[in-house]
Amino acid sequence: MTAPLQPGERPSLRSLAPVPLLTAVLAALAVAGAVARTPQAQRLPLALGAGAGALLLCAAVAVATRSVLTARITRRRLDAVTADTGRLLQDRIRQSAEFDQERVRLTEELTRERARHAAELAQERARSAAALGEERARQAAEHAAVAERARQAEQERAAAIAATANAAGRMQALATGMLADLRAMEERHEDEDVLADLLHLDHRTAQAGRIADSVAVLAGARSGRRWARPIGMESILRGAMGRISGYRRVRVHSACEAAVAGHAAEGVMHALAELLDNAANFSPPTAEVHVYVEEVPAGVIVSVEDSGLVMGDVQMRRAERAVSGDVGGLGGLTGTRLGLAVVGRLARKYGLKVSYRPSARGGTGVLMLVPQDILVPEQPVEPAPAASAPALPEPPSGRPVEGAEWSTGEQPASRPQGAPHWPWFEGTSHDTAHDDEQWPGGDGSGSGSGTALVPYGEEWPVSYGSSSLVPAETHHAPATPDHGPLPRHDSSGRDTDPLPDGLPQRRRGRALAEAEQERARARADEEPPRPAVVSLDDPLARAARFSSFQRAVRGSLSDLGSAPAEDTATPATPEPAPDPTRTSRPHPEGNATS
Amino acid sequence: MSRPGRDDSPDRLYTLTQGRARSAPDSPFDLVTLVVAECDPVPGMQSEHVTILRAAQRPVAVVELAAELRLPVGITKILLSDLLAAGRVSARHPRKAAVIDPDVLEQVLVGLRNL
Repeated sequence: MTAPLQPGERPSLRSLAPVPLLTAVLAALAVAGAVARTPQAQRLPLALGAGAGALLLCAAVAVATRSVLTARITRRRLDAVTADTGRLLQDRIRQSAEFDQERVRLTEELTRERARHAAELAQERARSAAALGEERARQAAEHAAVAERARQAEQERAAAIAATANAAGRMQALATGMLADLRAMEERHEDEDVLADLLHLDHRTAQAGRIADSVAVLAGARSGRRWARPIGMESILRGAMGRISGYRRVRVHSACEAAVAGHAAEGVMHALAELLDNAANFSPPTAEVHVYVEEVPAGVIVSVEDSGLVMGDVQMRRAERAVSGDVGGLGGLTGTRLGLAVVGRLARKYGLKVSYRPSARGGTGVLMLVPQDILVPEQPVEPAPAASAPALPEPPSGRPVEGAEWSTGEQPASRPQGAPHWPWFEGTSHDTAHDDEQWPGGDGSGSGSGTALVPYGEEWPVSYGSSSLVPAETHHAPATPDHGPLPRHDSSGRDTDPLPDGLPQRRRGRALAEAEQERARARADEEPPRPAVVSLDDPLARAARFSSFQRAVRGSLSDLGSAPAEDTATPATPEPAPDPTRTSRPHPEGNATS
Repeated sequence: MSRPGRDDSPDRLYTLTQGRARSAPDSPFDLVTLVVAECDPVPGMQSEHVTILRAAQRPVAVVELAAELRLPVGITKILLSDLLAAGRVSARHPRKAAVIDPDVLEQVLVGLRNL
């Protein structure tokens, strides 16, 4: 590439002109001298030739001058370029050295920085790890402490609940036993003042028993005692009423014949008692609480209506939730209001359905549906008196009917079983017969403590201490003849047949004297031992009734009462065919004697 | 402490009588008063009343009714008082001559001993 010419790089006209001009002048002078010395004749050609030569010389001198000048300029530029190149080279070397130096410096710095960072990182990591470990240890310790506390709390809770359940169970047992005691005393004491006091105590004890039942239900224990037979609706309602303080204000309107199965009766009774208690407590002290019982296809509806406070929507929803039994646990308890929670528990356990609604009486109405599956369809109907004898082929028993003769003066032989003369016996016999149906193994006696206490024993897993060792005679003392009229006790174990060798057989829980009496009576019968399939119900009830009457009427003659009565009452009727329903039933005593 | 028997009833006695433990002062009932029903039981009646009315279709003594009901005599008397007040039963005392004569009693005693 050709570098552009600088102005100084081309020979200027001024520097170029002097030499050719000088040459031209000299040549002109030389030509002019030569021409002047030459003759005239030759002058012209010479002048022309010399002139041409001079011109050529001038041109050559001009060209040479210009070349010299150009060469000089070019050499000068070359020198300048060479110098520039050297300078540039020097610069480059210098810069490269600086670069190297800088790079080394940066590298060192980088290394140093990296090391510093690494150290810092390691330090930080160690510190974090230490902190983490510490935190983890702390949290682990905390967790362990919390877990321990939770475990301890759980343990304490379980222990407390178990202790509560146990205590409640004992209280229930005490209350139940006390109620039985009181009942026995009520039977024993004729004095009305004493009876009034006993009834008062009875009422108080029943209320205490309900509270113990509530605690037991909340503690998850089994509720109350378990009844061995279905309990009629009337008794359920009365049992519930008997456990609240304001039972006098409760009016029952019921014609319901259904009965609640024995295992659920206590729960239903308890739930009803709580509902009644609520209704009685939250209505004015003078207002009555009305209870209606209605049978529906789904079961039996018990409606409790008070005329007290009207519950608001919120209250009613809360109450419905409480009694629905959906809220598990004891967290929702408020301390003073246990009743609804108890109802909820019981409702869930037995499938009861409880609902609230405003009552037409101005207060609150509670509906409780007792489901069909804990109902016993129909209580054995008490037959009409006239139709009782044919309708119930019951009991044709060879058992002497004491007192039948006394009552009517009629020969026992002239009537089949004496039933028409004592039509109302069927009324009681149904109770006992019902008992036997429920407890085929039972001996039909109140004093057969072995069988009688089975359900009770099942019900109470708690130990009774010494109470379990108390002989049953204490409770069934009236069974001996010198006590007050207690028909069902008196009738105990009459079915005992003497052993073949004639020795009296004493049954558990019964005095030997009674067994002896049995034997004497059996002899008086002059009859072979009856087959065991014969029902005991009717004769037992009759014997009980008569002996109690005798004792009451002619107290001092009671020791004579039994023998003559038995003599006169020897039935002449042949032994009727045993009822197939009774033969099919296992009867341990019958098997032992027949 | 005694244990509850198998055939106990959940009814407490005070619930049968609405809490009363005493019969009215003018109550005509004693142990041997004879009671006769004046009407048939009606549905919805207390079951004890039904039992009494059924049992008393022929004259029957108070103590017999008590045994029938398995209730203390005092309670039975209160129930009977209620029925009497409602006019459902009537009461009369047995003739006393038959019981009072000591000769008859003695003869009966001798006769019984000879059996």
